[in-house]
Amino acid sequence: MKVPIEWLKDLVDIKIKPEQLARLLTMGGLETVLEADNVLEIDIIPNRADCWSIRGIAREVAALTKTKLKTKNFKLKTNEISKNIKNEVTVEVRDKKLCPRYMARAIENVEIKNSPEWLKKRLEQAGLRSINNVVDVTNYLLLELGQPMHAFDADLITERKIIVRRANAKEKVTTLDDKTHELDKDMLVISDPNSAIAVAGVMGAGNTEVNPKTKTIILESAYFDPISIHKTSKSLKLRTDSSIRFEHGVDWQVVKEAVDRGAAMIAELGQGTVLKGKVDVKAGAKKPKVIKLRPARVNQILGTNISNTQMINILKGLGFKVSGTQVAVPFFRAADVYREIDLIEEIARIYGYHKIEATMPNTSFPDKEVDQQDLFRNNLRQILAGCGLNEAQTYSMIGPADFEKTALPQDKAVKIANPMNIEESLMRTSLLPGLLNVVEHNHNRQMENVFVFEIGKVFESAAQKLPAEKWLLTAAVTGSPFISPIDKGEADYFFLKGILYNLFSALGISNYRFIDTTSHLIQPGQGAEIAGLGFVGALHPDIVANYKVNKPVFFFEIDLHELIALAKKERRYKSLPKYPYVYRDIAMFAPKGIGNQMIISAIKEAAGHLAADVFLFDKYKDSLAYRVIYRSAKDTLTDTEVNSHHHQVIAALVSKLNVRIR
Amino acid sequence: MQEKIKDIEKQALAAIEKAATAAALEEVRVKFLGKKSELMAVLKSLGTLSLEDRPQAGSLVNASKSIIETTIKEKMTALLQAEQAKKIEAEKIDVTLPGKGIRRGRIHPITQVMEEAKSIFLRLGYEIAEGPDIESDHYNFDGLNIPPHHPSRDMWSTLFVSDSVILRTHTSPVQVRVMEKRKPPLAIIAPGRVYRRDSDATHSPVFHQLEGFLVDKKVTFGDLKGTLTEFLRQMFGQNKKVRFRPSFFPFTEPSAEVDVECVMCSGRGCRLCKETGWLEILGSGMIDPNVFKAVGYDAEKHGGFAFGMGIERIAMLKYGIDDIRLFFENDIRFLEQF
Repeated sequence: MKVPIEWLKDLVDIKIKPEQLARLLTMGGLETVLEADNVLEIDIIPNRADCWSIRGIAREVAALTKTKLKTKNFKLKTNEISKNIKNEVTVEVRDKKLCPRYMARAIENVEIKNSPEWLKKRLEQAGLRSINNVVDVTNYLLLELGQPMHAFDADLITERKIIVRRANAKEKVTTLDDKTHELDKDMLVISDPNSAIAVAGVMGAGNTEVNPKTKTIILESAYFDPISIHKTSKSLKLRTDSSIRFEHGVDWQVVKEAVDRGAAMIAELGQGTVLKGKVDVKAGAKKPKVIKLRPARVNQILGTNISNTQMINILKGLGFKVSGTQVAVPFFRAADVYREIDLIEEIARIYGYHKIEATMPNTSFPDKEVDQQDLFRNNLRQILAGCGLNEAQTYSMIGPADFEKTALPQDKAVKIANPMNIEESLMRTSLLPGLLNVVEHNHNRQMENVFVFEIGKVFESAAQKLPAEKWLLTAAVTGSPFISPIDKGEADYFFLKGILYNLFSALGISNYRFIDTTSHLIQPGQGAEIAGLGFVGALHPDIVANYKVNKPVFFFEIDLHELIALAKKERRYKSLPKYPYVYRDIAMFAPKGIGNQMIISAIKEAAGHLAADVFLFDKYKDSLAYRVIYRSAKDTLTDTEVNSHHHQVIAALVSKLNVRIR
Repeated sequence: MQEKIKDIEKQALAAIEKAATAAALEEVRVKFLGKKSELMAVLKSLGTLSLEDRPQAGSLVNASKSIIETTIKEKMTALLQAEQAKKIEAEKIDVTLPGKGIRRGRIHPITQVMEEAKSIFLRLGYEIAEGPDIESDHYNFDGLNIPPHHPSRDMWSTLFVSDSVILRTHTSPVQVRVMEKRKPPLAIIAPGRVYRRDSDATHSPVFHQLEGFLVDKKVTFGDLKGTLTEFLRQMFGQNKKVRFRPSFFPFTEPSAEVDVECVMCSGRGCRLCKETGWLEILGSGMIDPNVFKAVGYDAEKHGGFAFGMGIERIAMLKYGIDDIRLFFENDIRFLEQF
């Protein structure tokens, strides 16, 4: 909200410089920036309904500088002789819940013209456009008092009868901004016997607008239900200076003050006369709320030693009435001060947060439920970064195109009802689409070596209210992983498998298996299911083709819940071997379909417990060379012992796997 | 005899001189000093000499042998050194060529900042709790003293799944979830993703928050100040000033916005801090009695404070990043700077 300092000075003495004033308000809880022309731009926090007016700000300044508000006098000359408003205008409030107070005054023989320069200038400084002397008065008082009012042309109101009622279903109204809105039964309108003349508290209708020919004004000042105004304004997408104030709750008493002052000002500026009397239809009298304040409680919560007198002075300075421990809340603070804790905040605020001493909590920290999952994820990131993968963070929302490009099913994806755009309208069910976009983004910028992973949540609709959430670890790689291009070689299935080997060994997982997969994501024959954990392989060329990436892409995706379940929590030391090993090599041609894992298993099975290790140590075309490490825990093996085992191994390979020994 | 020995010695020294490699020299050694060498033959023949002549002849042979041995040894050392020098010369490399191996990966800057912030609280004795990203409006709003249709709901532009299911707009729901299940004392931090219907250079529809709260019998606003001052000093530097400003959050009362002295200008005022000298880092306050009430705690018997911060904002300030969207583009040239 824009607050010209000159205007503020009408209401409170200000002896400090504008910069100091801005800082003082900021430290008192209203973020304030000093703009050109000595205008303050103040960020009004949502609970401070009372601050949506220059008087409200003046009250803050008075409390913070320990001075008093100035009172403004005005004269209200009414047309005593001729008419009483009660004979000229009838008001019927049909819904007193949504409109607990409705006041009106009438002004006759008003000349509609431009406002005087001082008024125009003030409105402009506060960011409003001058319209005419009547509308400007309502805006002026809206700004100064925080009470929105509406001026109707009385002669355009059928039978001069005002009805405050709920709108009919699908009732249409054209507001002052020339937009036509369709209303519903939860919205409140001001109406005459024929049609709506205003959307209550939000905006007037064009049909009763003050115009150059207007002679008689009906000035409305009311208290509308904050929630109802908020809902109406939101559903009509019509947020006005008026609706902002009503939805925060206006000052019950100022409803009256404003209509009196408004009528006087309109009469003065338009050379009219105010009719005798006023309409005041209300649901009942409102009483100020009284709260019990325990000074000891104040100091206990704040950790201070503020004296009772200090507390009382602070509250009085803010307009509260204090007698003993009873604190009466002024109407203008009714919306945000209704409990002892609210008073405590007021005391802390004006006392000054900076004066409260910083201490450390004297607490006995409880037994920890150490979150293993979080530690685990952090550990994974360190391992994978060490393996050459960069951590990426992509949006949790993706679009239908991402699902289509990866041919992932959309049926279980959680849909966002009000997405910002279609690309962010579905919750991801896999981290792959996000990472493929990262690969593409980098390729588009001449970065062809992309090695990324993400650890993040995916989401699926579930039977219960909240969707199922699950943590995944996904990596996508393409291009050369090497520091220098003089080192040849590009990422492939085995590169990722090497990373998985390191990852699993870091986690103490040894019982993992790579098995055949038919996943549509994987190029047939170039990938595997990591049993129970996820997938690894070359991304299917049909999917790669959907991205602007001209190299093969390899990926893995792993379920973190399953991974953490397999990870070893504790480690035990195994004694180191005491005796040397003896090795034997076997070179062979294996028939098609006989894979590395099958050969190793067969060798281990045949070699028995003496085979400490078996591995492929050379591979040239179809020729495979395995080394078998023999070792006994009891003594040094003799050649004879090893040979006898090794013969069994060769025999088994030939008979079971039909390999040809070279 | 004497002449023969001298002759052998002469021949040997000439051969040594001629030997150009260690291998050739070794041949010379075998030839002149080996078991089948002439000198050895002479030595063996000493027995045929008279007793008087033997000692002289013997010492002559040994003197020659010694000279030959020494000369070979010296020559051998020189030859080996020369060969080593040649080998070293041949093996010289361009040490400015690039190293071998794969590039290391980086941890995302958001994770790095999150981990740094988390570790400070973990050292202070806090524990970690987590909650779902897709939340019910009960935990995200109602339980946090944000009633339906209250204007304070508009503090967050919410992404909805349905009327009552939303993408959480803050990590504060974790407060309610933990308090529902457990009794004080509690000292918890809750890291995670949050969502808002917002997008520009400083707002991202997805971002990260770190929430924290402490509940015990007697907790004061002074404790909140002490804890957050300690955190900010560890995060931004021990000499940084910290200030607390009154503010509003529905779930805390009194509430405070916490500013730290600007990291760019050290409080003098600059573009980054909009000439104020201060950067807004944290929202905080004493937990509102209504929040305690909703989880069945007695607000008279318990006190607590809560705080929350945006990790992207801290990372932007820390690294001087001016567009939040860079974090989610994952340009390799960006990631590799951290």
